[in-house]
Amino acid sequence: MTSIRIVLADDHTILRRGLRLVLEREPDFAVIGEAGNGRDAIDLVIRENPDVVILDIAMPLLNGIEAAKRIHEERLRTAVVILSMHSDEGYILKALRSGARGYLLKDSAETDLIQAIRAVNAGKAFFSPAVSKVLADDYIRQIQQQGVEDPYDLLTPRERELLQLIGELKSTKDIANLLGVSPHTVDTHRAHLMQKMNVHSIPELILYAMRKGLIT
Amino acid sequence: MQNERIRQDYFNRDRILEQLRSDIYLSGTYVRDLLLEQDPSRADSHRRELELARARIEDNVAAYQRILRGEEHAAFQEFRTELDAYFTSLHPALEWDASQRRAYGYAFMRDSLLPRRMTIVHIADQLSAVNQVQMQGGNRQITNLFSRFRRTMIVFLVLALACGALLTAGSIRRVMRLERLSAARLSDAEHAREALRELSARLIDVQESERRSLSRELHDEVGQSLSALQLGLGNVAALIPATIAEARAQLSELRILAEKTMAIVRDMSLILRPSMLDDLGLIPAVQWQAREVSRNHNVFVQVHADSIPEDLPDDHKTCIYRIVQEALRNAVRHANAKTVHIDLHHSDLRQSDLRQSDLGQNAETLVLTIQDDGQGFLPEREKGLGLLGIEERVAHLHGTFRVDSTIGDGACIHVELPLSQRPAEVEV
Repeated sequence: MTSIRIVLADDHTILRRGLRLVLEREPDFAVIGEAGNGRDAIDLVIRENPDVVILDIAMPLLNGIEAAKRIHEERLRTAVVILSMHSDEGYILKALRSGARGYLLKDSAETDLIQAIRAVNAGKAFFSPAVSKVLADDYIRQIQQQGVEDPYDLLTPRERELLQLIGELKSTKDIANLLGVSPHTVDTHRAHLMQKMNVHSIPELILYAMRKGLIT
Repeated sequence: MQNERIRQDYFNRDRILEQLRSDIYLSGTYVRDLLLEQDPSRADSHRRELELARARIEDNVAAYQRILRGEEHAAFQEFRTELDAYFTSLHPALEWDASQRRAYGYAFMRDSLLPRRMTIVHIADQLSAVNQVQMQGGNRQITNLFSRFRRTMIVFLVLALACGALLTAGSIRRVMRLERLSAARLSDAEHAREALRELSARLIDVQESERRSLSRELHDEVGQSLSALQLGLGNVAALIPATIAEARAQLSELRILAEKTMAIVRDMSLILRPSMLDDLGLIPAVQWQAREVSRNHNVFVQVHADSIPEDLPDDHKTCIYRIVQEALRNAVRHANAKTVHIDLHHSDLRQSDLRQSDLGQNAETLVLTIQDDGQGFLPEREKGLGLLGIEERVAHLHGTFRVDSTIGDGACIHVELPLSQRPAEVEV
């Protein structure tokens, strides 16, 4: 059995220890390194090429978001889970833009950490349920207060399917295979989708999918 | 006045003396006519005329005596004596008959009448002369009086002028001193105000940095420790065998407590200063604030923010954020608003209006408008501490701030912040 190799990055030693203890309860998890700041985390990821890196947002020298961005830019295969105290969508959007696959609230780290690591390691997205709930509630309230029609209702079944797959962080190629169409068609559908939803980036689409509860 | 009286007096005397002289002449003439007259009846008429002249002379003498002055006394006495002697000397001749008159008349005229008359007239002339002198004396007196008066006047005038000049100089000095004093006070007040403004700006800065560090401390240190505590408790719980149910239950309660405490700490930290402002930027922070208010107060808060530069100066970010926070607080707490529209945009007048930038105005500005549909208020009366604080913050960044509101018709806050700082005023 190949274990999932994990790097932990948080500037609080005691928190790292706590997380490590949680992870070590899983027999197929291996914490191969710890870092106290964003730079060390990047070095460690480059050197060790782990499956998953847990990055705390607030870290000295280089914060978790910036570190995630660098890892993403380096086209490393390591999946990033952002660890945060904020359930605000501003942070989530920023995490998504930085290329992170998972967004984990510290409040619920102990219960969700294992699940999050397994999800991102399997190429899926993971967001703390509390976060998804806040986003969904905000969205419903906003639609009601504004008294407008939910753009989701205007989507075709195909577009809804596409939205869900995008929310699951599937690549264009994967989506094309799953839907049995060409990647070019996927791009066209996605462009239509973004126009209908009035969003301008994939992370915003993902956020929207979360609001609609399409990702769990 | 006195001049006039003196002149009147002189003319009066002169007139009497003149009459005396002419009557004396006439008397002589009448006597001569009498002496030369052959007709007795005509002689009588001459005699009567002489009597009349004499009566007039007596009257005038009496009149003159009443206004006689001391220095004329001797001359007048002589005049009277001569006059009496004259009339006395005439007496026998008046009694003469025609033949006597023819016989002695001429000789009498030549030897007695004419010399005596001359003498009297001469004395009258003397009196007249005295009178003239008197009048000239009077004139001199008047002149003296006038010149004395003029001197007095000049002295008074000079004194008055001197007093006036002194008074003026004194007044000018006093006014100038007051002016200096008031200018000093004004500049003192200006300095005090400047100092106060500086102090208030410093206070805002200090408050903001205190809030920031407190917020960070709570979030990073306390929050992380609580997270660690929570994780630790979970780990401990995992180590405890399921059989010791009591310990597991207590640990679970402790974990819930840690979680609640964490939520409280996070909220406190966000209230002090939202980490979004530093981590994510102004717009995400404003949007977060809008969502928070929407979530907790059932108000629809809409945020429109277009093309705001990401690298806003920290002071500007904080200022805008605090204004939004205060406006939302007012809209919810006091105005009972149902919707709030927040509009933030960046205007670059350098492109659209060259004239303004030519005038040295700040071309790049942040324009913030916050409009609510609440019950409104009277800005000039009900400007609370919060709005005053906003005013201070905006003034510190050389911006403009305006509140438009009427009772029953919502409120609109309008703020413009220049972005390009004027070099001289960057570090105040």
